Amino acid sequence: MRDREIAIVGYSETKIELKSGRSVFDLAGEAMAGVLEQTGLDRSDIDGLAMSASFSDAGNPFQGPMMAGYLGLELDWTQTTDMGGGSVTGNVARASAAIRAGLCETVLVLASDAESTENKGNVGLWRTEWQFPVGTMGPPGYFGLLSTRYREQFGLDDRALAKLAVTQRNHALLNPLACDKLRKPMTAEDYLGSPMISTPIRMLDCVMVCDGANAVLVTSTRRARELRLEKMVHPVGYGERLNFDEGNPTPDITLGGHSVAGPKALAQAGLTPKDIQMFHPYDDFLIAIVMQFEHIGFCARGQGCRFVMDTDLRYTGTLPLNTGGGQISAGQAGLAGGGHNLVEAVRQLFGEAGDRQVKNATNALVTGIGWIPYARNWAANTALVLEAA
Amino acid sequence: MSDVARDPQAGIRPAPKPSSMTTEFWEGAKQGKLMLQYCRDSGKFQFYPRPVSIYTGKRNLEWREASGRGSVYTYTVTHRGPAPFRGIAPYVIVTVDLDEGVRMMSNLVNCEPEDVRVGLRVRVAWTATGEHQFPVFEPDR
Repeated sequence: MRDREIAIVGYSETKIELKSGRSVFDLAGEAMAGVLEQTGLDRSDIDGLAMSASFSDAGNPFQGPMMAGYLGLELDWTQTTDMGGGSVTGNVARASAAIRAGLCETVLVLASDAESTENKGNVGLWRTEWQFPVGTMGPPGYFGLLSTRYREQFGLDDRALAKLAVTQRNHALLNPLACDKLRKPMTAEDYLGSPMISTPIRMLDCVMVCDGANAVLVTSTRRARELRLEKMVHPVGYGERLNFDEGNPTPDITLGGHSVAGPKALAQAGLTPKDIQMFHPYDDFLIAIVMQFEHIGFCARGQGCRFVMDTDLRYTGTLPLNTGGGQISAGQAGLAGGGHNLVEAVRQLFGEAGDRQVKNATNALVTGIGWIPYARNWAANTALVLEAA
Repeated sequence: MSDVARDPQAGIRPAPKPSSMTTEFWEGAKQGKLMLQYCRDSGKFQFYPRPVSIYTGKRNLEWREASGRGSVYTYTVTHRGPAPFRGIAPYVIVTVDLDEGVRMMSNLVNCEPEDVRVGLRVRVAWTATGEHQFPVFEPDR
């Protein structure tokens, strides 16, 4: 990837809304039209579609072809990826591979979900057998289990979590596409005083499920030049790990797959964590950000909270964090939420982030998290390094 | 530590939906036996039940009765649960490392939420959910 032969040439994101009443197809159409308008490309320039599976259209085993039909796309390659919040970053890598293999030239990496309007998800087997009777149906219970264990091994500094919450909220205040319900100022005291959901997870540790869509356009750098596209960023490193330590029936759940995917992506890019100028981690819970700092190698294990306290994570700071607000303060567009942080990173590297523009950043690290397996750390881990052209 | 009988979720747990891979577990549960899959090639147990050994990928598996004893690996006290657990008193979710070397997720009953600790020794207890007996854990005093 380091050869810069692949380019992201456009991005688009809808407003993130609570209970929009819209379908995944409607939202996706808005995202595709946005990226065509931005790039000036014709719909016929798109010959590949990498889609993320959604909750809203779950149960439809033809999500990709039906989407392509709604969007009027005639394609040489398509696939639907079902790694939840890891799908979008994963799809940038899959699109890159398909382009390099000659399967297609220009791929729309598309994610759309209206989970807060309609959720047709129906995950059975061990979930209905072993999890639902226990009362862990929602992710807060799982992240409560993760957080308690983390606290037991390393201690958990509430001030660090509060700082993450406030930093991201301040970024959402500068992002007009963030969910309006969340675009209200927040203090550390607000975070600390928010109701306990499942100890030690508070209400303001959690994402709010919303509706929304996002898209990036991936092509070869050669093709981008032929199309006379001026703006581009290059994916220069990617790592992925599904089911970290799966053969271990009693794993240390404070460790996870980003400890493999993160260093792999950085090594491909020829970078170390110190070289990263912006961090756009997947954030479904604040503790996930703390753990990713450790897993990827920004700091040692158990030092995540201290790293947060010692680092200026504002968009004006030394390591800007989720400058669009992250999902926790912009809203989680269902299973399309993994695209929010990616689109923000591309937007920043294009220099189009408006009031929250990070100055002089030439690279970004974006991550994805998806699927919570039985009694373990999260299952899907992705890490993607982007560099400005 | 309290000795009071405590299980805010009693009677409202949704019944588990067994699959073809778990018949032996639920048959054993009816007799108060905690049955686990055992891989004959590696000499190790596994949970949840799977079509193959997680150690070898092969199907050389059998069912063995477990001791039902273990210790709390981690826990969370749920104050705002999903349906059908909305509005009930806080309940405790635990993952337990059984002495056989597998981890199970369940509830801790007969224990006040403030008394749960990582490392707490526990033993299996059974509670009726639909037509099945579901495994929960209680302090092993």
